[in-house]
Amino acid sequence: MTVRRVALNTAAGLGLLYILTPLIFVTWLAFFRQEIPSFPPEGYSLHWFAAILDQPKFVDGFSLSFQVGVLATAIGLALGVPAALCVTRYQFRMRTPLASLLLLPLIVPGVVLGTSMYVFHVNLENTLDVDVLGTFYALVAGHVVIVMPWVVRLVTASLAGVDRATEEAAQNLGANAWVTFWRITLPAIRPGIVAGALFGFVTSFGNLELSLFLVAPGRTTLPIVILQYLEWKIDPTIAAVSVVQILLIAIAMLITDRYVKLARVV
Amino acid sequence: MSLVVDKPRGQGWTASALLAPATIFIAISLFAPLGILFRYSLNEFVPSTKTMVEALTVANYVKFFTDPYYTAALATTIKVSLLVTVVCLIVGFPLAYVMARTQSRFKHLLIIATVLPLFVGNSVRAAGWMVVFGNKGFVNASLMGLGVISKPLEIMFTENAVIIGIIAVNLPFMVLSLQSVIEGIDRAVEEAAFSLGAPPATMFRRVLWPLALPGILAGTILTFILAMNAYATPFLLGGPTFKMMAPVIYNEFTQKTNWPFGGAIAFILMSVTLGLTLIANLLIQRRSAR
Repeated sequence: MTVRRVALNTAAGLGLLYILTPLIFVTWLAFFRQEIPSFPPEGYSLHWFAAILDQPKFVDGFSLSFQVGVLATAIGLALGVPAALCVTRYQFRMRTPLASLLLLPLIVPGVVLGTSMYVFHVNLENTLDVDVLGTFYALVAGHVVIVMPWVVRLVTASLAGVDRATEEAAQNLGANAWVTFWRITLPAIRPGIVAGALFGFVTSFGNLELSLFLVAPGRTTLPIVILQYLEWKIDPTIAAVSVVQILLIAIAMLITDRYVKLARVV
Repeated sequence: MSLVVDKPRGQGWTASALLAPATIFIAISLFAPLGILFRYSLNEFVPSTKTMVEALTVANYVKFFTDPYYTAALATTIKVSLLVTVVCLIVGFPLAYVMARTQSRFKHLLIIATVLPLFVGNSVRAAGWMVVFGNKGFVNASLMGLGVISKPLEIMFTENAVIIGIIAVNLPFMVLSLQSVIEGIDRAVEEAAFSLGAPPATMFRRVLWPLALPGILAGTILTFILAMNAYATPFLLGGPTFKMMAPVIYNEFTQKTNWPFGGAIAFILMSVTLGLTLIANLLIQRRSAR
């Protein structure tokens, strides 16, 4: 039995190692002293992290990704939380199809979403005679589409665990619908909202396929800057950029994990 | 939209007010673009002027299936996706099982370690594989240092590099799908099989596999769809001559500005993915029904 256990754990460990291998190596490269990614490294250095700041495209890309992510998440919450409340708290005929519609963007391929939104923006631009394609707000609108499903999914999951009796008790004691929501429901689903916001933000921040079609030349998001850089070369600078991104996302995940059990929501 | 609520009147308005903004937003930003793209895919393209001419023709779809360049890209995409899906299932199952059954207090860290790469982005993970696969990369340097090979192996810019890369990208999805289902299977049914004398292989085949089938189905479908649509990994690890569908669509669209044809390829990719998924679904369900 123990041999079996060891074999099973080894197989599982190898699977996890496989998943983490690319992250391990990109992190390793970020600390190389020499610029060429050759093994064994000639020594170790931290100066590539400082070199990130010398390249404005990384800083600009980070800044754009961050702004788009924050705004798309805020709009995603404003649209998604009420929708999640509705699909869990009300019974109506179109409930199931509408609930699936809200999650649909998660399964439409990124490239197809990107191409179709691109032609949509071109069409809007021609019809309305205003700049749409490549503008900041068009990019944000695109990202809301991929952020909102996460909000709906996580807030719905957390609403399912809230006992309706507490809300009814509040209303019996004279609280109106708004007070009940603000004082009872909202605190109870806060973990779901936090998780939805973080997952949505991280999805937006890391998105490549959609952004590729929606950004204007010269003003691109961080994942696109990374992709274009890698197409040209791989060096410790880009590895250092990656490490910064990995750290940020790891921190976001650890914060999320404090509020909700990750295993339940992904 | 009729939201018929079986609660007192007035709540219907509340429900509509809560749901309508999100629904309308998604409907407009999903269906309008897809509709326009589909309409464009029936238009004609004049290569000399790089312009689109209004038409109603299936020529773009015919062109795709008659040009070996594109059918080869589709065949490669399907082949790579099938291989990736099978390997993900085999490699992912033990990890998912251990994650589902562990009593360790570090379980949440295991899950974070699995989820984290998902959000880090495919480009960053491709960068990691470049460090491993390059001519002076980890694999070649180690093998040459050990004297196993005298000149570096060509791993970068091959189909193998792309397959290895996509497996790593999709493995977390498979593991999480399997883990959530295995967690719901009562440990006692496994114990019962063992105490009735079943060897582990039989227990797996007769108990664990059938009970985990919903998760296996969800995981394989998700993995397959993601592999079919992979963009960054084939683009960065496959190099300029390796062709998979998503990079081809991007190329038609932005480099050649051939929107009608790019749109047609996008819809072909979606239909083929959906079709193969449905067939697999039916086959698996019929087999499990027996």
